[in-house]
Amino acid sequence: MFFTPRVKIEPALYARLKTVAAAAGYSTVDEFVQHALEKAAGQIELEESEEEIRKRLRGLGYIE
Amino acid sequence: MITVVSGLPRSGTSLMMQMLGAGGIPLLTDSLRPSDADNERGYFEFEPVKSLARDASWIDSAEGKAVKIVSLLLYHLPPEHDYRVVFMRRPLAAVLRSQAAMLQRRGEPAPNAREDEALSIHLQRHLDAVDTWMARHPRLKVYSVGYEELLRNPPDALSGLPKFLDRDFDLHSMAQTVEPRLRHH
Repeated sequence: MFFTPRVKIEPALYARLKTVAAAAGYSTVDEFVQHALEKAAGQIELEESEEEIRKRLRGLGYIE
Repeated sequence: MITVVSGLPRSGTSLMMQMLGAGGIPLLTDSLRPSDADNERGYFEFEPVKSLARDASWIDSAEGKAVKIVSLLLYHLPPEHDYRVVFMRRPLAAVLRSQAAMLQRRGEPAPNAREDEALSIHLQRHLDAVDTWMARHPRLKVYSVGYEELLRNPPDALSGLPKFLDRDFDLHSMAQTVEPRLRHH
């Protein structure tokens, strides 16, 4: 389900996104931004998860 | 080629190392971590693995051998080797129960249900990421083994290993190393 939040970005960045999205085969800038944000959020979540696992493994003596 | 036994701690990685040793694969271990109530037959670890993230200079000594590396450290494997990863799988609830018991025996506070629930999400996210990473690695192949299946029916769980590691094994000797009394709780 989609809703329409407004996210302000600089015109120069929007122009870049438009070019990059088209070059990468996305049909719209929205589609590209959605994908890029999902990927970025997933990477941050993964880093957070692996830091939590790292703490556990240290407690168990498996890593330094 | 380097054989890597990997997975989450308490998913049967030490048992698999023991089995590979019984099957005739040389093991890269140093026995610095002594056996204890959590792993009565030992951990089959190689101490330098713990610092793989900052120092992989020992990796050449693993050629032709099997070495145990927890899944979180797999990303740090140097790319210039061929790896066959035997990846141990176990339901996360069982892994967390076993880790909690181990933490308590080490004098650490036991995680509460909420912490375990959060960690379960973190572990699943990590496993998904490491599966993707392994699938994309051009010089790494994976063979998954279920811990519960390994205890229940060792010959069946091990049947694909000879082909995967491209060598003959004494599967009978390997299967005999399973002792249900020593299962991780």
